[in-house]
Amino acid sequence: MEVLYELLFDYTLRTVAIGSALLGIVSGVLGSYVVLRRQSLLGDAMSHAALPGIAIAFLLSGSKNSVFLLIGAGLSGWFVTLLIFTVVKNSKIKFDSALAMGLSVFFGLGLVLLTIIQKMPDASQAGLDKFLFGQAAALTTEDIKIMGVMGGISIFLVFLFWKEFKISTFDPEFAASIGLKVKFLDIFITSLVVIAIVLGLQTVGVVLMSSMIVAPAVAARQWTDRLGLMMALSGFFGALAGVIGSLISSQISRMPTGPAIVVTISFIVLLSILFSPKHGIVVDLLKKRKNRDSMRLDAILEELFNLGEKHNDPCYPHSIKLLKIMYSNYTNFEKNLVKLKEKGLVAQIEGDKWALTDNGVIEVKKRGFE
Amino acid sequence: MDNVNETDTSDLALEITDLTVAYDNKPVLWDIDLNVPKGILLAIAGPNGAGKTTLIKAVQGLVSSAAGRVLVYGETYEKNRKLIGYVPQRGSVDWDFPTSVIDVVKMGSYGSLGWIKRPGTKEHNHARDCLEKVGMLEYEKRQISELSGGQQQRVFLARALIQDASVYLMDEPFQGVDATTEKAIISILKELRSRGKTVIAVHHDLQTIKEYFDWVTLLNVRLIDSGPVDRVFTTENLNKTYGGKINFIRDITPGQAVGS
Amino acid sequence: MSPHEIEIQIIAILVASSCALPGTFLLLRKMAMMTDAISHSILLGIVVAFFLIKDIASPLLILGAALSGVLTVFLVELLNKKRFVSKDASIGLVFPLLFSIGIILIGLFAWNIHLDIHAVLLGELAFAPFDRVYISGTDIGPKSMYVMGSILLLNIIFISLFYKELKITTFDKNLAAAFRFFPNMLNIALMTIVSITCVGAFDSVGSILVIALMIVPPCCAFMLTKSLSKMLFLSVLIGSVSSVAGFWVANLLNANIAGSMAVVSGVIFGVIFLMAPNNGLIAIKIKKIKQKWEFAENLLLVHLINHEGSAEYEDESKIEHLYKHMLWTPDFASRVISTSKKKGNIEIVDKCLYLTDEGRSIATASF
Repeated sequence: MEVLYELLFDYTLRTVAIGSALLGIVSGVLGSYVVLRRQSLLGDAMSHAALPGIAIAFLLSGSKNSVFLLIGAGLSGWFVTLLIFTVVKNSKIKFDSALAMGLSVFFGLGLVLLTIIQKMPDASQAGLDKFLFGQAAALTTEDIKIMGVMGGISIFLVFLFWKEFKISTFDPEFAASIGLKVKFLDIFITSLVVIAIVLGLQTVGVVLMSSMIVAPAVAARQWTDRLGLMMALSGFFGALAGVIGSLISSQISRMPTGPAIVVTISFIVLLSILFSPKHGIVVDLLKKRKNRDSMRLDAILEELFNLGEKHNDPCYPHSIKLLKIMYSNYTNFEKNLVKLKEKGLVAQIEGDKWALTDNGVIEVKKRGFE
Repeated sequence: MDNVNETDTSDLALEITDLTVAYDNKPVLWDIDLNVPKGILLAIAGPNGAGKTTLIKAVQGLVSSAAGRVLVYGETYEKNRKLIGYVPQRGSVDWDFPTSVIDVVKMGSYGSLGWIKRPGTKEHNHARDCLEKVGMLEYEKRQISELSGGQQQRVFLARALIQDASVYLMDEPFQGVDATTEKAIISILKELRSRGKTVIAVHHDLQTIKEYFDWVTLLNVRLIDSGPVDRVFTTENLNKTYGGKINFIRDITPGQAVGS
Repeated sequence: MSPHEIEIQIIAILVASSCALPGTFLLLRKMAMMTDAISHSILLGIVVAFFLIKDIASPLLILGAALSGVLTVFLVELLNKKRFVSKDASIGLVFPLLFSIGIILIGLFAWNIHLDIHAVLLGELAFAPFDRVYISGTDIGPKSMYVMGSILLLNIIFISLFYKELKITTFDKNLAAAFRFFPNMLNIALMTIVSITCVGAFDSVGSILVIALMIVPPCCAFMLTKSLSKMLFLSVLIGSVSSVAGFWVANLLNANIAGSMAVVSGVIFGVIFLMAPNNGLIAIKIKKIKQKWEFAENLLLVHLINHEGSAEYEDESKIEHLYKHMLWTPDFASRVISTSKKKGNIEIVDKCLYLTDEGRSIATASF
């Protein structure tokens, strides 16, 4: 209850929670496209490549105003992404290598610029450091407004160009055949993703941003087979992780917000992979087990039937000792006999003898074992 | 090529002149002249790497050509794009994409809808009709990853049907489908023909060409020959196309013209 | 040059060389982004090992780091088996999580000890010479030099011992399995080597720039050569050059050394990407333009021979036909025609084009 009270009335916590939730929604929605286009690591490269943009924006404007810095971040993230695609298109360098290069080289450039800025005579540390690991606690109402507006616009555009984005992701060739400009749409989506990433830099930082893009979408995909629902869920998971993560970090001293959010969203992924009713591992295992069990029961029925046939009586009672020797390689043979008895397919006669019931014989014939 | 004389230009669904396509300046299609009359089922056959898929794509401007002109119903494909229905290879998309059967079919209506506008009730009903035609209506809500190869192909076909095109371009519509689906697909193609539509399909199975198609285009980077099956589908032409590499041609070609 | 500066450069070369060797194989195995994952998640291994051993200088921390590197690979593979989780997504899920846990553990329990996250991420090569090794009181040089030297030696031994096996598992995993070269075991071994190298390098250049040193020089080498052994050699060379040059750039600008090393390697790649003699962008463009003309000339001949002897030859061979049907621009067409004529492949009679014998034989040959 106290936590809830704080969430509502503590200015800092409220700001952090709202900011993280907004970030979660935007990165969740746009992350869905990133994951479906199998470009999950592009987010990582973009966020690292945003660093030199932040530094250059600061050098040019001399101000710590978030808007300038974010525009710088966005432009450089976008530029490096195009550079990565250019290298892949025009050389034998593969996409993943190009990503690794773009990520590390431009992060290096960012570092060089940051150290130069730090050593400049009148630049107070500039607070640019916060972009490395994010500093959710430093979010201001102004930042929240920016996140709200930019995030809102991005999501609106996703909604507006819903069918174009969808078909150019699912079947780019067909999309081109009906006259859509697929390359333009690719760049469009990429630009929106850059916006999502830039919005997250202040909260979770360069290093952990990729998780905010990938994790909610992967979790959501486990629960649904519908694109719209997947995006909605993904946004919801992102927001949930944002709020829970900021609450955790507010309750435990020295618990950084960004990592807390990442651990939370990863936990949501784990839960989804394990327990989703459609594709969850647990459901899969239960199904498999059920199948295996029923196959074992069927096998026993069939054996009893065949054995009985030799006595010209399908319901002929067999001694348990004999059965146990004959079917010693069957798993849980006795237990399964009891299960069959509970189903009324097999009966226990004279204490230690077992036989098929009439129902059992019908069941065998129904399955066409004869 | 003497097929030029076989038809009058105003009756042409597709008129390809001097089409050359090259990847990295290696020719994939060399100076192709091909006229396709309206209302026929045409098979494009040839060995691997003959440029069959490239031809289908070049007609729609999906790959750029080094030279040549393509007219669809007498106009450039940009102008008459809406007259073309396209069935790409089944393997070209990610079947794990989170979407349903009916949704994929509706994608066929995106072209006529234009930007931003969404498919509505009309498109939904139309999509259901098309699914019914391919015998997939009961699967309309199914997630596409849960379909068999044959079912995937039928969904793609339904997506092309909803385009309500005049010329259908299909890239290996029979690839990896079961016998029932093959029969179902071919009866749909014949129905299209009866409505005056033109169907051009890349086809691998030489044994069924005579049975399924009216016309055949034999391709091996160059155009070997094109025209009615009875005239074109000869042992001599097949040897030219496949470079004599396939001995089984003789097995399926009793007599001079195949199946004649 | 001060002795410190010399030491820093030696360490830089050792780091760059140790990174470039396994990096080459990662690149060829299309696992470049695995370095990203490993270099981040080894933080967790170091932290956990530190809690167990309670000694920040213990070499056992390297073991912890190596284990967490292998754990990362294992988790990525495990997740990748799950439906709807692609390989890149599973990498993008695993390493931020492990890295976050590492940061949280440091924040909660080790905040007062020297395990500075900044240093982990960014590295500071400039401080490397201050941590020195003494043998019975005699200063025998900076510790990192010995650590990186041993790691480089380990990498050289590993790669020369298993050169053939690494090569075959990289190019044809199935064949390698058929030869019983245990591709999976070898993969784990390679990942262990990568992790160990990351930990060593991490101290001096930080986790993100390890990626630059592991991937950028091999990419440069990949653009320049096709032979694996040459590629290894070139990677080491380019890595060393960028690290030394990076050091001097940093010196000049008074900036972070590791960052400058990454930038210099990036610049070298940029230059190679543009100017490489065969694969460079400029060379490719020039070649393409040249080929485009040659191809067009060839195409003209093929077009003419295709229609030779047919009834409509006169139509097909008219110069206007080239504009109308082949959709060539008049400029383009007239240039192709004049070169072909100069080469004696065609003749022009009455605005119609005719093949010469020479032209005919070229056209026939191009089928």
